[in-house]
Amino acid sequence: MPGAPGAPVRLPLRRPTRGRWVGGVCTGLAIHLGAPVAVVRALFVLLTLIGAVGVGLYVFFWVTVPVGDPAAVAAQERPAALTRIAPRLRAPDRKVPLTDIGLGLLLLVAAGLLVAVRAGARVDYSWVVPTLILLVGTGLAWSQLDAVQRDRWLSVAGGRTPVSVIRLAGGLVLVGLGVVLLVGQREPIDALVRSAVAALAVLVGVALVLAPWWLRLVRELGDERAARARESERADIAAHLHDSVLQTLALIRARAGDADDVARLARAQERELRAWLYDERTTAGTSLAAELRDVVAEVEDRFAVAVETVVVGDCVPENGAEALLQATREALLNAARHGRPPLSLYLECTPDQVEVFVRDRGDGFDLDEVPADRFGVRESIVGRMRRRGGTATVRSRPGQGTEVHLCLPRNPRTHDEGTPR
Amino acid sequence: MSQPPVADGVLDVVLVDDHLMFRAGVKASLDGRIRIVGEADDVPSAIEAVRRLQPPVVILDVHLPGGDGGGGAEVIHRCADLLGTTRFLALSVSDAAEDVVAVIRAGARGYVTKAISGQDLSDAARRVAGGDAVFSPRLAGFVLDAFGAAAGDVATGDDELDRLSAREREVMRLIARGYSYREVASELFISIKTVETHVSAVLRKLQLSSRHELTRWAAARRLL
Repeated sequence: MPGAPGAPVRLPLRRPTRGRWVGGVCTGLAIHLGAPVAVVRALFVLLTLIGAVGVGLYVFFWVTVPVGDPAAVAAQERPAALTRIAPRLRAPDRKVPLTDIGLGLLLLVAAGLLVAVRAGARVDYSWVVPTLILLVGTGLAWSQLDAVQRDRWLSVAGGRTPVSVIRLAGGLVLVGLGVVLLVGQREPIDALVRSAVAALAVLVGVALVLAPWWLRLVRELGDERAARARESERADIAAHLHDSVLQTLALIRARAGDADDVARLARAQERELRAWLYDERTTAGTSLAAELRDVVAEVEDRFAVAVETVVVGDCVPENGAEALLQATREALLNAARHGRPPLSLYLECTPDQVEVFVRDRGDGFDLDEVPADRFGVRESIVGRMRRRGGTATVRSRPGQGTEVHLCLPRNPRTHDEGTPR
Repeated sequence: MSQPPVADGVLDVVLVDDHLMFRAGVKASLDGRIRIVGEADDVPSAIEAVRRLQPPVVILDVHLPGGDGGGGAEVIHRCADLLGTTRFLALSVSDAAEDVVAVIRAGARGYVTKAISGQDLSDAARRVAGGDAVFSPRLAGFVLDAFGAAAGDVATGDDELDRLSAREREVMRLIARGYSYREVASELFISIKTVETHVSAVLRKLQLSSRHELTRWAAARRLL
């Protein structure tokens, strides 16, 4: 489950490629802040109305915030020993950057129109539009800074990929056009008086265009280093898994005659492997669910039964959690001894209380007929829970199995960061 | 649209899993009223088989190689136009909520783990064919978690998509505690049909809800 209770997972600030309208700034901010995208967008529009602050801010974020999938980045930032190893299912990606292509085409058409206008009638505002084109063209070239490095088809040979080449070329054409249009403002098209200046301007434009490329190379180098570090971490985990699995297999081979032992080993190994592959692990002492799973593992190993465990919510083990776990263990042991599989275990953590249900499908029994000197249920389950201010009820009906219900109220002081209603 | 999915008492099923041994095991364990009409072992072959055979039920592994890496969810996405007549029952070894919810949100009508017995799997396939939903205890637990039902966040109106009603929450809790539909029905003094209605309603909410936590949770795991 996502994170410990009360500590919302804040995803890092990245510009996601999915769900974006222009540069993904609003989407990224919304994901980072946990706010609805619509609100962030409205805010930017509002800020734009106030002296174009919104546009400035947007451009700033566009240039400075790298593109990436926030969730993927967050997953990579988790220590590898705690993340699951099996790959996650990928949702289908949009392969063609339609927004970019549309924007680029629009710009090219506008530039072409301008050239036509220049060839024909001269319009007064003609210097405004070229400036705009120049700016946007530069922006387009700069935007290659964000090209998603990890995309499969983008990772070809040092960033020399179709998209970045097209971007670079498009940016160059636009900047060149803008410069010529700007510089050759009052001159007829054939006048070459200022050609030197124009050439210089073009060169500056080219330098401007190439700078981000160089910047990107530098950044890629850093990414590569990080990737190598991750790679070695992964290798450590793989080695660990390899060892544990191999060891178990060797043990199984050695005890091939003892069916019980083999089953126990296989079950323990399966549980460990499953956890490694599919679960995000938590650091010790922060998760009641994790400690409950340890209890389950112990019972499963001892009695060679499977316990179907379902956990809803999670919390930091606090006062009385130890008693709850012990009582749960006792209930599980009883179920394994006297009941019949399948055994079910259900844990629910709410801001007010922690509840545990342990159920088996045995014959059931009549609680009143249990002799008073039988310590099991009375002392180790009911008494233990009562001393901690909790309750324990056992419901057993002949033929329908037994269900033990444990309930522990939570410390009121720790409520404040609970789920808001 | 409601043509009987079970003709002459035998249900045609396409089985999709990337492990030959597992497919053989499932085939042997299903009861006599389930007939495997086709098999597939990766995303493209699964899509092809489902489109060609258009079976009433597809038993689909969540983790499949091939395609764009979307596994079972991708198969359902690509066959979305058949969802009216073909129902998908997801089958997984992982039991990780994020994998399960990916296929459910893609359109699967049920989810079971690979540890399930042949009889239970046959029943689940028939239930899915009849238009009902199949929830494992783990999926019920996830639903309670994702909808914040544990914190007492309960819907007041029937048409709310983002919260469970009090009754749906009760049903989900009992399923999570390991109760069968029959046991849930007798526990709540309602008919099995009513339990099925509640479970189908929850499935619909799970597929359609844009509940903030749910979408955020899913977005964080790249499911949307």
